[in-house]
Amino acid sequence: MTDVTAAERDLVRAHARAERGRRWTAFFLVAPLFVFLIFTFLVPIGDMLRRSFMDGDVASVWPQTVAVTRAWDGSGEAPAALWPALAADIKASAASDTVAVAARRLNYAIDGGRTLVMKAARRLAKIETPPNGDWRAVFADLDETWVAPKTAAAIRRASGPVTDFYLLAALDLRKTDAGAIVTTPEKDRIYRTVLWRTFSVSGMVTLFALLIGYPYAYLMTRSSKRVAGVMTVFVLLPFWTSLLVRTAAWIVLLQEHGILNDLLMRIGLIDHPLRLIFNRVGVVVAMTHVLLPFMVLPLAAVMKGIRPETVRAARSLGATPMTAFRRIYFPQTLPGVAAGALLVFISAIGYYITPALVGGADDQMLSWFIAFFVNDTINWGLAAALGVVLLACTTVLSVVYAKIATGRRFA
Amino acid sequence: MKKPVAVGGERDLAHAPTLVTFQGVSKTYDGKVHVVKSLDLTIAKGEFLTLLGPSGSGKTTCLMMLAGFEVPTSGEIYLGDWALSKKPPHERGIGMVFQNYALFPHMTIAENIAFPLEVRGMNRASVKEKVTRALDMVRLPQVADRKPSQLSGGQQQRIALARALVFEPELVLMDEPLGALDKQLREHMQYEIRSLHMSLGLTMVYVTHDQTEALTMSDRIAVFAGGHIRQCADPRKLYEEPSDGLVATFVGESNRFDGAITGRDGDVVTVTTAAGTRLRAAAIDVGSEGSAAVIVRPENVRVGAAASGLDDTIAGRVADVVYHGDHLQVHIAAEGLDVVAKQSARDVVAPRPGDEIVFGFSTAHARAYDPARTDH
Amino acid sequence: MSQSTMPLTPLERLSGWALAGFAALTAIFLIAPILAILPLGFSDGEFLVYPIRHFSMKWMEAFFASEKWAVAVKNSFFIGALSAAIATVLGTMAAVGLARHDFFGKKLITGLVLSPLVVPIVIYAVGLYFFFAPLGLTQTYTGIVLAHAALGSPFVVVTVGASLAGFDHNLMRAAASLGAPPMLAFRRVMLPLVLPGVVTGALFAFAASFDEVVTVLFLAAPDQRTIPREMFSGLRESLSPIIAAASIVMMATAIVLLIAVELLKRRAERMRNEA
Ligand SMILES: Nc1ncnc2c1ncn2[C@@H]1O[C@H](COP(=O)(O)OP(=O)(O)OP(=O)(O)O)[C@@H](O)[C@H]1O
Ligand SMILES: [Mg+2]
Repeated sequence: MTDVTAAERDLVRAHARAERGRRWTAFFLVAPLFVFLIFTFLVPIGDMLRRSFMDGDVASVWPQTVAVTRAWDGSGEAPAALWPALAADIKASAASDTVAVAARRLNYAIDGGRTLVMKAARRLAKIETPPNGDWRAVFADLDETWVAPKTAAAIRRASGPVTDFYLLAALDLRKTDAGAIVTTPEKDRIYRTVLWRTFSVSGMVTLFALLIGYPYAYLMTRSSKRVAGVMTVFVLLPFWTSLLVRTAAWIVLLQEHGILNDLLMRIGLIDHPLRLIFNRVGVVVAMTHVLLPFMVLPLAAVMKGIRPETVRAARSLGATPMTAFRRIYFPQTLPGVAAGALLVFISAIGYYITPALVGGADDQMLSWFIAFFVNDTINWGLAAALGVVLLACTTVLSVVYAKIATGRRFA
Repeated sequence: MKKPVAVGGERDLAHAPTLVTFQGVSKTYDGKVHVVKSLDLTIAKGEFLTLLGPSGSGKTTCLMMLAGFEVPTSGEIYLGDWALSKKPPHERGIGMVFQNYALFPHMTIAENIAFPLEVRGMNRASVKEKVTRALDMVRLPQVADRKPSQLSGGQQQRIALARALVFEPELVLMDEPLGALDKQLREHMQYEIRSLHMSLGLTMVYVTHDQTEALTMSDRIAVFAGGHIRQCADPRKLYEEPSDGLVATFVGESNRFDGAITGRDGDVVTVTTAAGTRLRAAAIDVGSEGSAAVIVRPENVRVGAAASGLDDTIAGRVADVVYHGDHLQVHIAAEGLDVVAKQSARDVVAPRPGDEIVFGFSTAHARAYDPARTDH
Repeated sequence: MSQSTMPLTPLERLSGWALAGFAALTAIFLIAPILAILPLGFSDGEFLVYPIRHFSMKWMEAFFASEKWAVAVKNSFFIGALSAAIATVLGTMAAVGLARHDFFGKKLITGLVLSPLVVPIVIYAVGLYFFFAPLGLTQTYTGIVLAHAALGSPFVVVTVGASLAGFDHNLMRAAASLGAPPMLAFRRVMLPLVLPGVVTGALFAFAASFDEVVTVLFLAAPDQRTIPREMFSGLRESLSPIIAAASIVMMATAIVLLIAVELLKRRAERMRNEA
């Protein structure tokens, strides 16, 4: 009896070995791209997103201060050791021209934090030793804000190594001094508006693309071969045309003295140019144009697979054309609708170039703010936090898309 | 050169050297179900061996292990003296004809046939000559420059055969090569394959579902079931003396009577059916008690007057008579069973539906098997 | 219209016409803007506006004479070709690997390999900007080529994967049984049959790079110009008709790519029918 089980165990083991060999072959073929993408794609993105919760700015230039604040529990008065450490750090960082890094970071944590730090840097440079050895008094003398309990607490919260500050800020939330998470006051709220704008522009673009693309795709699949061919070219040509050419084209069309305004004025519909560009209208129109092929192509693919007999059967069973469409045809196209809509929406929420070129200041979406915080205000933490929000949305939608797409393949 | 032999299945291969040996070969795809179970099998040089068996019994798997596309999970296969386990498929030199032919669609017919020669580095002139000869051999010299898609199914079949033979392999494997052809073409191709086998002195391993095909073409047939070989014998022995019930019912048509063994006298058992009829049958795969399945071929069922000389007869009613051209099939309802008897169509008095009738069979033609090893 | 043989009610006929009219308008919407910009390349005006008072080759000549644009054109084709080549080799191998057996983490790897298609480009560009800086890869062509290769590779994986889905793996077994070692079988049998997919993927990867501007904006040195980058800054600043001239070059490339891909698609379909 034991003999049999031993033999069987050998067999199972031998089988496992053979299977492993096969898998390795497949894996070795995939590995080069996989490794390539890890280093040129995954790690860079991870490195960026890491900045949304990493908080090393203050620690990198003010090591002594951070050593004190990290040892402190944050309640009550600041420890006395804070002041000499802070003074030494400020002086050292001012000397090595790195004080601005801390100033920028503290500006997010303390109202007027930048000015506070920069002023202190200038003044402290002149003080070798404080009177009575009391650095606290010196800081109090510089600005009462320094010795307010919440300032020390704010420095402590900015000491890293990790923070939830940026991620909260990206959702217009912040932590009170007591540690509770509250919504930013109405007048300071920005990112929820931006997020909402990103979604609403994308939603509108998706909706318009669907309303325009559905009938077009329908006709494309039911036309004679030649007409369908021409209709397909009309979708593919924009699809292959550079995004910048298409965006430039819309500027030509929609600008104040552009073709559209010209035309409308010439036929007397309007008597002065409409504002069609550098506003929401321009963004939605141009983006709809750019993304329309991504709606039409999946829709047409699904519609091609629908057998016309099903509609004919419905008609022969007494359904009116409208009922046959609504009850029989439309439901069969839903996978295509879902695929197209998700594809358009996923692309739209990441859009940058088109809104940047044809939108106004109030039409910029999340991507624009990410670029802005990186390039202009060097607020990398916030840029990364907004990136986390954007990427989270994209990922969720992509997973849904993948589910729908594979579901269709198996059906 | 071999002498042409008139009747298939009666060539003497007993003294031919062994070409292929399966030694304790087992295979599992998933680590759980054993598709092939410790298989031992030898194939002689020049033999035409057919693997026959129900769907899923492991025939293709055996062929694939021999060709090198699947690896035995344990055990070893030898080709001549080589152990095959370390030899990749392209070094085995085994010709293979695939069920869907697997002709390369982007190459012409000539290029397809030239492929095995080119990869062996043969010079152009000899390649050209061999391709021409191969096309002549399958009698399709005119299609050399066509693409596979421009050929009919039967023509593609022959090209696949030519391609598998052109590099002169000793051993050729075929997995249901005629499955996609219509009946007439299939019979024609059976003949052609058989005569190629003989004239070229090839060793063939042939997989089929079609038992007539197996019986007419093979030197030996291995009947597979559940990963085991149930019987491996020449066609006549397989048909006339199947060693277990599954083989008996799988190869050829048969009538089956189930009952309990009520007596044994040497090699003859008496089986009593549920209806109380006593049948005497040769004991093949049974002891002297327990249940048994008695198997009788339709052509051995004697009906009406022809049954009169038998010891035991059974009464029934003719349910239907079906005309098959050369013979009649008489369906008799008896004991709740549908018993089929085959009769020459020339018989003057054919029974008619509704007739009361007696039938029976000689003890030599009834074979008793263990029912547990009879069900598929 | 639909080739239905059913008699139509007047309402149906009307809605049929309405549908056709709507589709015609959609076609205009799709194509007219692109056509509208092109003639401006032959304008003699100073701005990117109609009406064109006189046609002239002024801007076309300016485009081709300009050192700046010449560099941009050369760079765009160079970066496109190189990144497409990398993407094609890596993507084809990966597609073949993914089409074969299951292995641990296959789903996850597939997801990663395809993710450049959906990750918002700004996030990627910023990530590269941070990640490449300490490696000395910002402000280099190498950095841009690597980025574009990453962005182009999923197109290759998808198109090669699609042509492998219709590939009969018995052909590889047949090749082996006829004596061809694996690499030879791949070259002589699998590659010719999936070649339309490979080339299509390469063209997609090229187009993706050719049109890509965001990573270039973040990674390129000021003098590392590409056509889209010059167009982007041109559209922000001067709006000169030279942009229309550049558009004509981009469009010509797009049309060549479109025709090539459609021809390949036909070829693949023909091959599939033959198989
Ligand atoms: N690649 C595979 N992976 C997993 N299981 C397999 C594989 N190939 C075959 N099997 C299983 O192994 C068993 C035997 O398959 P095999 O193809 O050898 O049968 P067969 O006798 O050729 O049947 P058929 O007459 O239907 O062709 C079947 O149960 C089948 O499901
Ligand atoms: Mg099989």
